[in-house]
Amino acid sequence: MIVSIDWLRDYIDIDIPLEELADKLTISGAECTLKYSGVRIPEGVRVGKVLETRPHSDAEKLTVCKVDAGTGEILNIVCGAPNVKEGRRVPVALVGTKLAPDFELKEVRLRGELSQGMICAEDELGLGNDHSGIMLLPDDYEIGRAFADYYPVYPVLDVEVTANRPDLMSHWGVARMISVITGKPFKKIPLVLEEKGKDIHGITRVSIEDPLACPRYSARIVTNVRVQPSPAWLQRRLEAVGLRPVNNVVDAANYVLMETGHPLHTFDLNRLAGPEIRVRFARKGEKFETLDHKERILSENVLLICDAKTPVALAGLMGGLESEVDENTRNILIESAYFTPSVIRKASKEQQLSTDASKRFERGADPNERLEYARDRLAALIAELAGGEIARGLIDFYPEPIPAKRATLELENVRRITGIELSAANCRATLQALGFEILNANDKRLEVRIPTFRPDVEREIDLVEEVAVNHMDKIPSMQRMSISVPASFDAFHPFLTGIRQFFTGYGMHETVNNSLIGESAAAAGIWGYPPLKILNPLSQEMNVLRTDMIQPLLGSLRINALRKRGDIRLYELANVIEKDPSAETGAREHHNLGVLCSSSLWGLNWNEPEKSADYFYLKGILEHFMEDRGFVYKLRENTQNAAFEILCDILVRKELIGRIGQYRDEIFEKLQLQHPVVIMELQVEKLFEWYKPQKQYTPPPAYPSIFRDMSLVMDKKTPANVLINEILQQGGKYLIDCLLYDLYIDDKKLGEDKKALSFRLEFRSDKKTLKDSQIDDVMSKLFKRLENQYGARLR
Amino acid sequence: MNKATVTEIRKQFEKALEEVRDTAALEALKHGYLGRKGIIAGLFARIREVPPESRKETGELLNSLKTDLSAAIDARSMQFAVPRKQKEITDFSMPGYAMHHGSRHPLTQAVDDMLNIFQHLGFDIAYGPEVEIDWYNFESLNFPPDHPARDMQDTFYTEGGGVLRTHTSPVQTRYMSTHKPPVRIVAPGRVFRNEAISARSYCLFHQIEGLYIDEGITFADLKGTIELFCRLYYGKDVRIKFRGSYFPFTEPSAEIDVSCFLCGGKGCPVCKQSGWLEIMGCGMVDPNVLKAVNYDSERYSGYAFGLGIERMLMMRLGINDIRILFENDVEFLKQF
Repeated sequence: MIVSIDWLRDYIDIDIPLEELADKLTISGAECTLKYSGVRIPEGVRVGKVLETRPHSDAEKLTVCKVDAGTGEILNIVCGAPNVKEGRRVPVALVGTKLAPDFELKEVRLRGELSQGMICAEDELGLGNDHSGIMLLPDDYEIGRAFADYYPVYPVLDVEVTANRPDLMSHWGVARMISVITGKPFKKIPLVLEEKGKDIHGITRVSIEDPLACPRYSARIVTNVRVQPSPAWLQRRLEAVGLRPVNNVVDAANYVLMETGHPLHTFDLNRLAGPEIRVRFARKGEKFETLDHKERILSENVLLICDAKTPVALAGLMGGLESEVDENTRNILIESAYFTPSVIRKASKEQQLSTDASKRFERGADPNERLEYARDRLAALIAELAGGEIARGLIDFYPEPIPAKRATLELENVRRITGIELSAANCRATLQALGFEILNANDKRLEVRIPTFRPDVEREIDLVEEVAVNHMDKIPSMQRMSISVPASFDAFHPFLTGIRQFFTGYGMHETVNNSLIGESAAAAGIWGYPPLKILNPLSQEMNVLRTDMIQPLLGSLRINALRKRGDIRLYELANVIEKDPSAETGAREHHNLGVLCSSSLWGLNWNEPEKSADYFYLKGILEHFMEDRGFVYKLRENTQNAAFEILCDILVRKELIGRIGQYRDEIFEKLQLQHPVVIMELQVEKLFEWYKPQKQYTPPPAYPSIFRDMSLVMDKKTPANVLINEILQQGGKYLIDCLLYDLYIDDKKLGEDKKALSFRLEFRSDKKTLKDSQIDDVMSKLFKRLENQYGARLR
Repeated sequence: MNKATVTEIRKQFEKALEEVRDTAALEALKHGYLGRKGIIAGLFARIREVPPESRKETGELLNSLKTDLSAAIDARSMQFAVPRKQKEITDFSMPGYAMHHGSRHPLTQAVDDMLNIFQHLGFDIAYGPEVEIDWYNFESLNFPPDHPARDMQDTFYTEGGGVLRTHTSPVQTRYMSTHKPPVRIVAPGRVFRNEAISARSYCLFHQIEGLYIDEGITFADLKGTIELFCRLYYGKDVRIKFRGSYFPFTEPSAEIDVSCFLCGGKGCPVCKQSGWLEIMGCGMVDPNVLKAVNYDSERYSGYAFGLGIERMLMMRLGINDIRILFENDVEFLKQF
């Protein structure tokens, strides 16, 4: 919303600097910037007269001119324009003029000729795009006068109006706020209304089908108008606030709208069948062409203004082409109505039509004071500008007047909420300036009548805001802080932070991925959750919520692969969403960790050959992660997902809490990756439920360990974990660890179906130093057992 | 068999160990001495030849021999496990072994930094779901149905009647519904807006919500807390401006500007020459919100605030396209 300072002065004296005014309004809740409407001609540009011209001796296209710019001396100026003429008046930029922030005009020599200024073209002054020649000015322009005088600029305030303040979308509204700030009184233009001729009731009639949608409909008629362009002052004011002048009637209606904030409509009375006005809801599928030349198909949610036969306007939104006021219009019907905000909002949404009128009606116009003033003001203004006669009387359908509300402000509550003490007199002055009527007052409380142009104010707390908002900067900042002791201290966030640090420490990059993905991607989710659909998606690629962490990470992998980033190691902690119609929100959310790598095991090194990070790399990290957090887990191979070379369920307490795996390379053929894609997802929220951070300390061993290595040849099919478990179980009370440290396969030496595994067993007692003889025994028993059970033999 | 025999065997072993050059030779040596049919085992077998009175002593002698040999072999095997490259190590200027470097995403880092400050100020952390119901996201926060204030936030609707939360404010009423006052929480999280994706806006972003409800809490408490937060986060010289605004769930409401951290308030492209940066919205919790969760609004009062992480981070890092934050290009991520 743009308001013009010049225009505001009709309603309030402004005697503080405009920058300060803009700052103070901003602090008070009307965020605004001071701007200038129109073009600011740089200082130093004057009206000059070309006295004589001669061709430049050394340049074909240049002309040397003698110019009088009222400086007291005749200037020598070289000009390149073809249209420069002796005797004509032109804009002259004097030496020292700043034509651009970084361009200051200097005295120069152009091919030997002195040039003491510049004769300007339109584009050089920001007045247009024309650079075909210099500007030639009318002969009545005064030589030596600042050229800017012929291009007045208007200071304006660009106000960002919040959704609750329809009243602020007007000069009146802003003027009232200024009144609170400066203490100067707000004043309206007094109405002078001269009714003449016929009574309006003899000319037209108005009927409202649905008073709930249109609680008030008020009309006046002005006859015998002459529609023509508006006077310059009116055009200028409208242009300053960004409106295009049309004709004196339409402009007058817009003027009163911008003045009071109350939307009005003018109909060509002669083009209304009847002539009469009927207000009703549209029939489903009914068609109507609006002023913007769009044929609209309506639903029963759209309120219509009709004449005796057909619709003539969408109520509160826009008029129709048929009844538009144009130069042939003689008689005018002025509509000043109040429509129920939700009705206009629905229609505006449905028709995707937001207008100056609808913005105000849907936030709440004033059914009383402003409606009446605007109606009469417009009638008077049209009569003044277009020379018509205002018909006697008015039509006013208002079966159930909307009363002004009342509220009481306890001063104690101002202090309780804001922390500042305001005097009764101070509050009273503020509220009065804003248009509130004081009904009762003492030094403890104020009872007020709330003006109906303030639909946002209803309760005491709203009054607290009204009196406090102008003192925002005076509210003290509490220097001693009270903190209520919290009932609990969150441990989840630190748990997550620990996970982030862990994976970052392993050389992974934390990512943040979009939660919205396409349905087909979601279908590939590793959990098989049904995806939750977005009913109004931005696109089909974002029409459901992600069902796992992996699919979005694959998206990030793709971006990195296409950009030829070599080592890609990513992780993310976020929510995945499972559709669950039985849940309150229709969804169940899981806070998960996703990890995805396609990377070398370590960077390119001079000491080791490069290797790919594969499934076992991630498994190693998982082992560390679980051990670090004190979780015992099991892996169970999962052969259900064909996209994976290997995929395992991760089980803790027999519950599925994660998956880890390596994708089949073929899937990523197009990306030309250097390394396999391995992934892991963990339901960290579930892990957190079981997480017990207090670990009991174990004394470090007091006696040394004995290590024994054992290389066994066995069937390839015997899984390593079976063997390890067997060793740990049968290794006796001193066995504390069994590390599988080598896998050897040699079809010739060992046989095609054989493999050799090497284990390092660690024995230790916490009571004494063990003797080899004690271990020898255990080892031979253990070996016998493995031999019998698994057909293992020593290598 | 006597002491001299043992000493001799020890010497032979040490000499042999010295000559071992690889794991295989070491294994052979180990087998020869410590194997089941090895030299030591042979010695133990001959212990019957020793007179009974010195058998114990000899036994101990053999045991210590075995332990020593075993330890020496272990020690030697360690040397083979990590073959030393004598030549390279003399050149100190060779690069260190390449390690993979990880990084934290700047968004979660910023969230952590801020939460850290609020936790120091006695706030607990609370959470809420990303898929919300209308009541928590709007109605309990004093957004009546069909109210223009709902237009302030373009909403994604989900099947089953849910919405993707448009702000973290629903955590306020969720938390209060299950906790009695006093409450003092901050709630971090993702929020969603149905806006076309462009350099300036993305369909999701992160917020931190703050809420403090108790007896006797005023706007002055809000000011003190926010000012302290800003000084801890932006530096002690930062200036703060509160200006009136409108949110349905607070009354009075305010927006908070801080002096531009880049130019210090003189005006620069980051602050669009204004010297100020808008960082958060706040206000005193509207009595209607307290009523919605059955708090006595005559007895309790309090404040709420909400700050957006992305905008703040973009200003700080000089990012002019928000999408780079969600693209996860490794070359971007590793800078943090």
